[in-house]
Amino acid sequence: MILNSRRAFLKTSFLTTAVIVMSAGKLFGAVYPLDTMVIAAEDLFAHAKKLEVDVRAYLLIILHHTRVTEEEKTSIRNGAQWLNEEAVAQYKKTYTQLSADKRQEILKIVSKEKWGENWIYALLSYVMEATFSDKVYGVNKNENGQKWLEFAAGMPRPKEPLL
Amino acid sequence: MMYDVCIIGSGAGGSPIAYELSNAGFNVVVLEKGKNYKEEDFSKDELGVSRRNMFTPLLKEEQHVINQREEDGSITRYVGSEAEWSFWNGSMVGGSSNLMSGYFHRMKPNDFKLKSVYGEIEGANVVDWPISYEELEPYYEKVERVVGVSGNITKHKFSEPRSTPNFPHAKLEENGVTKWFDSACANLGFESIPTPRAILPHATLNRNACSYSNFCGSYGCATGAKGSARAALLQKCKAEIITEAFVYKLESDESKITTVHYYDKNMQSHEVRAKIFVVAAQAIESARLLLNSKNIYFPHGIANNSKEVGRNLIFSGGGSGQGRFKFENLTKNQQIELMQAGVFFNRSLQDWYDYEESGKKYKGGTIDFLFEHANIVSRASREFYNDEGDIIWGDALRKKIHKTLTTSRVLSFEVFNDWLPSDECFVSVDAEVEDKFHMPVGAINLWGHPQDVKIGEYLAKKATQVLKEMGAEEISYSISSAPPPNLVAGGCRFGDNPKTSVLDKNCKAHELQNLYVTDASFMPTGGSVPYTWTIYANSFRVADKIIEELKKG
Ligand SMILES: Cc1cc2nc3c(=O)[nH]c(=O)nc-3n(C[C@H](O)[C@H](O)[C@H](O)COP(=O)(O)OP(=O)(O)OC[C@H]3O[C@@H](n4cnc5c(N)ncnc54)[C@H](O)[C@@H]3O)c2cc1C
Ligand code: SF4
Repeated sequence: MILNSRRAFLKTSFLTTAVIVMSAGKLFGAVYPLDTMVIAAEDLFAHAKKLEVDVRAYLLIILHHTRVTEEEKTSIRNGAQWLNEEAVAQYKKTYTQLSADKRQEILKIVSKEKWGENWIYALLSYVMEATFSDKVYGVNKNENGQKWLEFAAGMPRPKEPLL
Repeated sequence: MMYDVCIIGSGAGGSPIAYELSNAGFNVVVLEKGKNYKEEDFSKDELGVSRRNMFTPLLKEEQHVINQREEDGSITRYVGSEAEWSFWNGSMVGGSSNLMSGYFHRMKPNDFKLKSVYGEIEGANVVDWPISYEELEPYYEKVERVVGVSGNITKHKFSEPRSTPNFPHAKLEENGVTKWFDSACANLGFESIPTPRAILPHATLNRNACSYSNFCGSYGCATGAKGSARAALLQKCKAEIITEAFVYKLESDESKITTVHYYDKNMQSHEVRAKIFVVAAQAIESARLLLNSKNIYFPHGIANNSKEVGRNLIFSGGGSGQGRFKFENLTKNQQIELMQAGVFFNRSLQDWYDYEESGKKYKGGTIDFLFEHANIVSRASREFYNDEGDIIWGDALRKKIHKTLTTSRVLSFEVFNDWLPSDECFVSVDAEVEDKFHMPVGAINLWGHPQDVKIGEYLAKKATQVLKEMGAEEISYSISSAPPPNLVAGGCRFGDNPKTSVLDKNCKAHELQNLYVTDASFMPTGGSVPYTWTIYANSFRVADKIIEELKKG
């Protein structure tokens, strides 16, 4: 089963390998994109956590999804890196090291850039997908998202997730 | 083995042939590139169906190139996978008819003679059809019975003649807001029409009744009530269906198709032989297949010595609009009516199917009204921006989503008018991009005639009058030349003249003795309605002609 496990390694490495954050052309440090995405997703829509939605697990699903293009995955990963670079440029700290208020400041700054707006949009879309996903995806087990909006999901429900 | 008939594509255009011919005892095979999903396989998983597009190919594997003609005449080239611009609709047994909403309208007598009735239009290749409404009428009626169309006939200014007094199936259950619509129309002097639907309100035809699942368009039907080509026809006949069979080439001698070649899912090539071949892969892919099938007899592609294949591609002209009803303007009872889920809105207007403006007669169209799609991720995502156009997040977004989705509802409308055929809108094959089967992909050369937008605007303004009268707010509309990928026709026009059409009046290729095309490709003009009822009806008509042909031996 060598091939299988190597594949699994490649899959996880995409998110768990640190990306390098540069500041003024110099190496500043390294961050894990998934950590940045999870924190940013919470900064963007904290309500998902109140609804017990497992956004981290859903982002992993998306980033390994057979029907999400490599370009989309790369642009999310790049966005995480650039967010950190903006944080370092402004406050000499990575995004993940900043206080909640300062993180909001960074989000406001990047939201004025085209890439930043697109990245926020993409992340928010994934948070919405997680929040309203069928419980078969395993990230919205009590379907609190649906309850929050008094939304009756369509029947029949999926028997298995599309991954 | 030699089949009597080999059909390429199992959707609305191909299935009536499969149904009629196999029920008449002929040996029929259907080659379908998609998988076979049955009722039990369908669910309302928004993530799979609408967000990840599980029923259409991945664009990096199969795509189109779009050459869009800009206002200044320049062409912008878009590679589908890079631009994320998809023209796929449903690759599966039954094709996109599985996913349709089933808004069904017949074309009207004048739609069959656009040129004679409304005259030439500069920049457009308007022609009369080689058949009349009267010739197609018995087949429209057949679709009502066999596929199942529900509704209630109300006479209006543009009612088309019918051979039966009413639909065979009573109309579906309706949302209470339709009453507001009807009285708004009465106040304005407009004629509100219950929209016919290819949906069964009760169990019949060996299929279940509609369960009012609230997720109809874009979703497969788990009850079988929707009149998809699969549920209504293929599941009820003995035609052999070979799935995951991508047909990449037709082979011919100078007068007959001899063989079709297809790849299976493991990229193994196979051949099928038959007496008669029917192409019904949806308009763009049918033209592409013919153009990709070149040989010494047909150096420009099968049936294309006239160089007509791919020309006069049309979509549905028009666009859509909407208005929002807010709780704060409604009584408690009205709020309850507004939020009733599942039951249908089902109202249409055809008052301006043709109209006069400044002394000139114009062909107008149809307006269908329907509630905004229930997809909740899409609806929540529409709230990401504030009124100033800035992206929002955090508590502001949470409150906006909650308020909008729990205390208001959007009523939408869709405008259907003719997409005028022209020299600038056509299918070709791309010289550079290939699909995963190493076949040149279809190139969609796009242009919309300015008159289409003008008519669309006229109709949209009428629709907004109704929304205003009903008390809706935030009324808006968008009419443009952007093509709806799911409402596509033309590319292999039928006609009497072999120099200006690909098919004869029976949808047989002028240049070959045993090749038919029975999806919407045959349509020289589209009518101002969605196409599927006409596709089904015409395909039933052609089935009778093929039976006659086969009986002759
Ligand atoms: C979301 C949605 C809503 C719609 N709503 C309406 C509506 O309300 N009213 C209405 O009238 N119409 C509606 N339509 C349109 C309707 O579905 C189409 O008009 C109709 O299905 C077209 O029939 P067709 O045979 O041309 O194509 P399809 O039904 O798509 O069938 C074509 C088949 O050919 C197969 N195929 C393609 N290429 C090949 C190949 N090379 N080899 C083998 N197989 C191939 C495809 O996989 C497909 O199964 C809707 C469509 C969609 C997607
Ligand atoms: S059950 Fe009714 S509403 Fe649901 S998909 Fe089928 S036809 Fe549409």
